[in-house]
Amino acid sequence: MSRTYDLVHRTTYSYANVVTDSYGRTTMTPRDVPGQSCLSTSVEIEPAPADTNQWVDYFGNRTTYFGVTTPHTRLVVASRSTIEVTRQAPDPATLPAVGWHEVARRVAAGEVGRLDPSIVDLRETLLPSPHVTFADEVRDWAAPTFATDRPMVEVLVELAHRIRTELAYRSGSTTVHTTQAQLLAQKAGVCQDFAHLMIAALRLHGLPARYSSGYIETRPPAGREKLRGADASHAWVSAWVPGAGWVEVDPTNDQLVDDRYVLLGWGRDYDDVPPLRGVIFTEGSGSRLTVSVDLVPSGSEPFA
Amino acid sequence: MTDLLSSPRLQGESGAVDHRADWSWLPDPADIPTEPGLARARDEAERLLADHGVTYGADSEDGEHPWHLDPLPVIVDEPEWARLDAALVQRAELLDAILQDAYGHRLLLTDKLLPPTVVLGHPGFVRAVDGLRLPGGRELVLTATDLVRDGAGGWCAVADRTQAPSGVGYAMEDRRVVSQVLSGVYRQASIQRLGPFFRALRLALRDVAPGRAEQPRVVLLTSGPSSETAFDQAYLASMLGLPLVEGSDLLVRDGRVWMRGVEGLEPVDVVLRRVDAEWCDPLDLRQGSRLGVPGLVRAVRAGTVSVVNPLGSSVLENPALLTYLPRLANAVLDQDLALPSAPTWWCGEPRSLQHVVTHLERLVVLPTVRGTDVGTILGWTLSHREREQLAARISAEPWQWVGQEPVGPAGPTVDGTPVGVGSDLPSAEGVGPADLGPRAAVLRTYAVAHGGSYTVLAGGLARVAPGHVVSSALGAAAKDVWVLSTQPDAPVEPSVPSDESAAGEVATPRRPATGISPRTAENLYWMGRYAERAEDASRVLRVVVDRWDDFHRRPASAGGRALDVLISSLTPTDQGAPSFRDLVLDPRTAGTVARSVRRLAAAAAAVRDQLSTDTFGPLARIERALRDERGKTRGRTHGRDALDLGVVAGNTVTAGLRPALDKVLEGLLAIAGITAEGLVRDVGWQFLDAGRRIERAQHLVESLLATVVQRRPADVDAVVLESVLLAHESAITYRRRHQTGAGLAEVLDLLLLDGTNPRSLAYQLDRLQESLALVPLAGRAPDQRDHLLSDVVDLLAEVDPVAIAAAVTDDGRRARLAETLESMLWRLHSAADEIERVHFVRLSPSRALEDPWDARDGGGE
Repeated sequence: MSRTYDLVHRTTYSYANVVTDSYGRTTMTPRDVPGQSCLSTSVEIEPAPADTNQWVDYFGNRTTYFGVTTPHTRLVVASRSTIEVTRQAPDPATLPAVGWHEVARRVAAGEVGRLDPSIVDLRETLLPSPHVTFADEVRDWAAPTFATDRPMVEVLVELAHRIRTELAYRSGSTTVHTTQAQLLAQKAGVCQDFAHLMIAALRLHGLPARYSSGYIETRPPAGREKLRGADASHAWVSAWVPGAGWVEVDPTNDQLVDDRYVLLGWGRDYDDVPPLRGVIFTEGSGSRLTVSVDLVPSGSEPFA
Repeated sequence: MTDLLSSPRLQGESGAVDHRADWSWLPDPADIPTEPGLARARDEAERLLADHGVTYGADSEDGEHPWHLDPLPVIVDEPEWARLDAALVQRAELLDAILQDAYGHRLLLTDKLLPPTVVLGHPGFVRAVDGLRLPGGRELVLTATDLVRDGAGGWCAVADRTQAPSGVGYAMEDRRVVSQVLSGVYRQASIQRLGPFFRALRLALRDVAPGRAEQPRVVLLTSGPSSETAFDQAYLASMLGLPLVEGSDLLVRDGRVWMRGVEGLEPVDVVLRRVDAEWCDPLDLRQGSRLGVPGLVRAVRAGTVSVVNPLGSSVLENPALLTYLPRLANAVLDQDLALPSAPTWWCGEPRSLQHVVTHLERLVVLPTVRGTDVGTILGWTLSHREREQLAARISAEPWQWVGQEPVGPAGPTVDGTPVGVGSDLPSAEGVGPADLGPRAAVLRTYAVAHGGSYTVLAGGLARVAPGHVVSSALGAAAKDVWVLSTQPDAPVEPSVPSDESAAGEVATPRRPATGISPRTAENLYWMGRYAERAEDASRVLRVVVDRWDDFHRRPASAGGRALDVLISSLTPTDQGAPSFRDLVLDPRTAGTVARSVRRLAAAAAAVRDQLSTDTFGPLARIERALRDERGKTRGRTHGRDALDLGVVAGNTVTAGLRPALDKVLEGLLAIAGITAEGLVRDVGWQFLDAGRRIERAQHLVESLLATVVQRRPADVDAVVLESVLLAHESAITYRRRHQTGAGLAEVLDLLLLDGTNPRSLAYQLDRLQESLALVPLAGRAPDQRDHLLSDVVDLLAEVDPVAIAAAVTDDGRRARLAETLESMLWRLHSAADEIERVHFVRLSPSRALEDPWDARDGGGE
């Protein structure tokens, strides 16, 4: 059983003053991974860049560089892809019941098997990173979940559930500079914040966790509730469960990732895989930024 | 001063180690430097360093940060150096292999060899350049290692500098100075030369160029004049003959790096960087950095440019690596590590963490990342409570810390603890023995990849410090390092003069100087303007000070009334008269001599690579003269008394100013002479001269407007006119031509119209138009600029000096003269604005694109 999606992700910047040069980097091209394959994809930039370059980054994500050298007051970056998704969410009950103490011990001791991720990959996902800090506030918040040894899968399910129930999803309530301590104080955030919080809680306890960037279907099938974080970039958590590999959990919607999700790529945190990052040259300040995402079943009415 | 670095010699039978410099090789013991001789050498070195403009630390408005040099060299004998040389080559080869692996297969990253977190947890590990390779087979091109002597006198490495090693320019300059101030012994010594290293570095930069560029274009990317090691960077650039560029001088187009020249873009093949990797590209690395070039990583990825050292090389600076080098040497090179490191424990391993937190009182604790707020922590200097706090901090993020055994020659011991040289542990009473000499000394060595191996600099940068931590920022003194050679002086290559002077040692034919950036052009232009502004102000003040001394007691005399005219011309508006002293000495107020000199020095420092080193001697002497006189002021008056000519008694108003101004003018004339006679007439020179001309033209017209427009009694005007002639350096000519006293028409003829007078307006316009015709345009039309200047030329052509001097209105104003001068002045000011607009096109500032995360509520079009 597979689902095929058409994806359009468009980012538009409007400036009051002329921008002479724009240099940018996108991670907007879905990866091919088990359970997901990208059938066609393109990144279109307006004005047309003088120079573009595509490559696969350190984490294996498909990345595009562009350099626009025509003066402009509007920059549009649009990625369009068609993706076939066959991924099914695992049933937590069927996942290996290895305890979190044991997971942490194996990573620390370097006891990984031939089929496991490499020790380099696992150790990398234990460390703090720009958006994932080992703050006391996170430690205190996570403590109840880690009070006793218990199966790793239970920890993941509980963290996702606690985030969904204890924190409010509020669009625009945080910025790229919001810290986890601030998030916990204001008890509201967006999907990136929730992913970072869960990642921090896991890494603080020696458990490998990484950040996944992607999308959720925009319009749910009839009779199903629309998920939070649709209409924009989405983010969730990948955590390592020995015997099951990287298990993907969406704390924003309190569920395991299934065929309603399209994965772009992963990194240590948002900083490794922002959908778009850039440098512009201009005398002006400020900009008006709009982002729109549409992930719809293939052949649906086109993106407005 | 005890020397902790020279080759140790055993003292008699006691077995004690003496680190004093060994002079036994001198044929005549009478030549051994004596204490008074060394003291003289020290003074002389200080003067030479100031004259060469050798500084450490950022350029600042009133800050002087001289480079400290102890002329007594560190002397290392040949057999010892040969062993060290081999050990350093091995170390560089090992570090290179580790670097290649870290950005390659990462096979060494196992707990059995190199715990992965040592690499992955270090900010120097730049994921954006993973898998990229330099042509030429080496990743680590230039490396430096900091060494100390251990208790037994052997060499011990305490740190490796692999990001962008600094100091090699200082080492060269130290050699230059010491060879002069100790020339007696230097000439008798057979000392290994520094030159081969710089030649190898030049070749190395060529060898890493992408493709098969015959003459690769290499630039030195500087962190700018505000960098602590700005001198070192500029000095190295001029030694290697490389353009010194800032990030804003470069740009990425079509997948490669270009340098902005005043004549267009020029391709760049190799970037020798002195900017830390994370700042090198605000797109792929640290956002918001203005020191780098957006897209640099993209160009590196495309293989169109080679960056040296490659981005990401600083991961090797993690001191935790010291722990694992011995086993890595065995695994990678199948050799034992020849150069030991200070015993180091990386807290990322549980057992090491345990060791460090339980032995804090005798360890040096270092964060694994250099340049954080935490420096080197000396465990024994902490209180019990501080140690507990540190232990907690380490335990929270243990992979961020190492503990290191202090290393140094042991001195006397108290209660079993060494308290002598290399340690300042207090004795049991809490008081250390007196005069321990320097507590610490570090030798920085350099190696460059060359010919399949590494070439080590035969010498290095030695620094000694009174405290435990050797840091130039904390006032450590540098020493030259003499590696003795048993060979009679190696045959001197034709291009190598024996004094190893900077220019000669590695002379490179400079490319035709098309390659100056708009930034360099602008700095040269302002250098010309500030040099002239300082000179103009000095000449005027010298005249006014003289007149004041002559006439201030007789205010009613002709001279006294002329003095009033001159004083009011100094400050055209009525913004409260500053004192003469301030007009000369105050560096904080615009328009003063001291301020213009400061700006001149800053502009010169920013284009150091374009200038003769001789430029900096006179600059240093000017600043010294002003500083010395400023120092005297404080003792005599209360701060900045406003000038009240009637009240301030005697000569305190002008005392010392005339000699100071003479020294300033002497220095400025020397600089003018160097720029006139020592610089090729290239584009840069034209900008420099254009700056001087426009400034002089403006000053001349302003000065005439302020002094000769108003007609006064003949005896008053005579003094005013003579003063004006003096201030414009035309009095001698005038007297020769006109035996009688000064008449305005003749003065105007000489100062405005006489094209043979290098001080006249006609001359300035002529030179200015000539220079501007020779400099390229930065894509903007010069019509307005040329219009304005030819208008001034036309105005000048219409001047009939006799008629215009005679046209006096009822109120005694020479109205036509005033009108003409004012018409000229605004055009000259506008022309200067136009020159900036046409030639110095400023880049728009760069900033980060707003992050999509922050656009959440704007979502949905």
